[in-house]
Amino acid sequence: MMPSFYQLLRKIIQTGIGRSRLIMAAGGLGIAMILLLIAIQAHSDFDQLLHSQQNANESADFLVINKNITNAMMGRRTQSVFSAEEVADIRKQPFVNAFGFITSNQYKVTAAAPGDLHFYTDMFFESVPDSFIDVKHEAWNWTPADNIIPIILPNDFLNLYNFGFALSQDLPQISQETVKAIPIKITISKGLMTQEFTGRIVGFSDRISSFLVPGSFMEWANGKFGSGEAAAPSRVIIKTKDPSDPALVQYLEDKGYTTNQDKIKYSKTKMIVQTIVSVIGFFGLILLLFALLVFSMFIQLVIASCKKEIQLLVTLGAAPGQLQRYLMRQFVPLYMLIGIISLLLVAGIQWWASHQLAAHEMTVSPLIATGTAVAAVAVILLVYLVNRVTVRKYINAIS
Amino acid sequence: MQIQLENLVPVPLKDKILQRSSDVWNRQISFTPSKFIKIKAPSGTGKTTLVHYLYHVRTDYTGQVLVNGKAWTAYSKAAIADMRQTQVSVVFQDLRIFEQLTALENIELKRVMGGQPYCTAEKVTEMASRLNITHVLNQSGKTLSYGERQRVAILRALVQPFQWLLMDEPFSHLDDENAHRAAQLITEECKARHAGFILTDLDDDTRFAYDIHYNL
Repeated sequence: MMPSFYQLLRKIIQTGIGRSRLIMAAGGLGIAMILLLIAIQAHSDFDQLLHSQQNANESADFLVINKNITNAMMGRRTQSVFSAEEVADIRKQPFVNAFGFITSNQYKVTAAAPGDLHFYTDMFFESVPDSFIDVKHEAWNWTPADNIIPIILPNDFLNLYNFGFALSQDLPQISQETVKAIPIKITISKGLMTQEFTGRIVGFSDRISSFLVPGSFMEWANGKFGSGEAAAPSRVIIKTKDPSDPALVQYLEDKGYTTNQDKIKYSKTKMIVQTIVSVIGFFGLILLLFALLVFSMFIQLVIASCKKEIQLLVTLGAAPGQLQRYLMRQFVPLYMLIGIISLLLVAGIQWWASHQLAAHEMTVSPLIATGTAVAAVAVILLVYLVNRVTVRKYINAIS
Repeated sequence: MQIQLENLVPVPLKDKILQRSSDVWNRQISFTPSKFIKIKAPSGTGKTTLVHYLYHVRTDYTGQVLVNGKAWTAYSKAAIADMRQTQVSVVFQDLRIFEQLTALENIELKRVMGGQPYCTAEKVTEMASRLNITHVLNQSGKTLSYGERQRVAILRALVQPFQWLLMDEPFSHLDDENAHRAAQLITEECKARHAGFILTDLDDDTRFAYDIHYNL
């Protein structure tokens, strides 16, 4: 069996000369790759953990923001409302996907239960743009011709009544269905002007802790019973992709705003994890750079040590492209192997970690993220390209 | 493949060459394809230099070497490699055998370089036996004598397709018997390809039926 051209080249261009450098470069590349992949994988896992715990079905979250009421501000209402500049500033923040005002009533509202339930209370209404409401109901609209006002109650409110008030006062507990069935007599007034409506509870919101009425009703009532001027809002609602975004939390803190703290509690953890992941990723990158450097030095050494042979091959008619391809064929299987081993290792770690976390009732996928696989391919491509350029440069320099 | 020389003068030999007359240096020459050309050159007149210029391994000259109407220097490295694989072959004076390969591997290297071999392996064996080097084919290049190396170099030049064969004192290490055999083989292989050769040597000889003679 006659040897092929590449087999003959193997006898002429000895790549064994820099074996220790090659092992160093390969080892460095492997460790760099594992660090990078772990960093990316950890980032993706943490995101999974956060989002699966907070909102399983939604890709966004809603935050109601208001100013912190401090002792100094008490009694001075203008300090607790948002000015036009402050509103504009919130709107242009990158983490704000949508923004809405919460409009308050500018009139007096009383509610009374029908029949002999003997329930009577002063109350208030607020309204938000419909897109911020998590209760979908076909009755959620109002025109001036309607006598019935749809109302959304906070879920917490019913819970407070059922488990706090009703139990202690020996009153009956009420189901959501019952509440929805009760017509409530709503009276709104301003001075001597009064008008009566029938209120109907159409749903319970987890998102906004307030008594909500449709925006059209609020507008109409504020126009008829209110001062006629639009009041400055003291609460606003924003839609955000990630309520644990450290930038958002920092912004609220800097401006002295507050929101539902429960929703942003992961921010600190996220910041710590992000820092650790970034540091690992950074070291991975640095190591990758050094591995590339050592690879390049190895290639330079191989070509320099075979300079005479390569020149004779070119003289005899070997194309520089043929020699480049031959040299790359000596290295590419090595990267592939390193890439596959690193990826398998990280996949193994991920599988193990997902089982460990499952024991603590935290679910992450047992498979690696797409981003991790993409990164592995990208690193191999980068190494390939850098080496190709190096081989080409040094072959061309001597041929 | 057309080879033309236009006022070719080697820079290192410039003064020496301009003092005497030459059929080749500083002239317009067109080498007619498929002719057997002998260039007789006393020592020191730039015989090896000329072969190197024709094969484009040196470029320290003024004037031009035109290949198919285009200067050698204007060809890309890939194009030059392709011509060396398919259109022009060479036997160097210093032979240039890979010492880390066996004699046969040295020949094989050239045979399989272009992908689709021009001759079969059997043809190589046959030609080797005609050159009396069958017994050294599996010997390392390092251990070959000059005469054996020269025949390996000749055989290596004959396993590829070519239109021109350049030879620089190809029989300098061979006895008459082996030189005669080699010349016969070269003639046959050139005829089979309708190819010509340019041979440089120190003295006159009658080993080939030369068509054209030049004095360097």
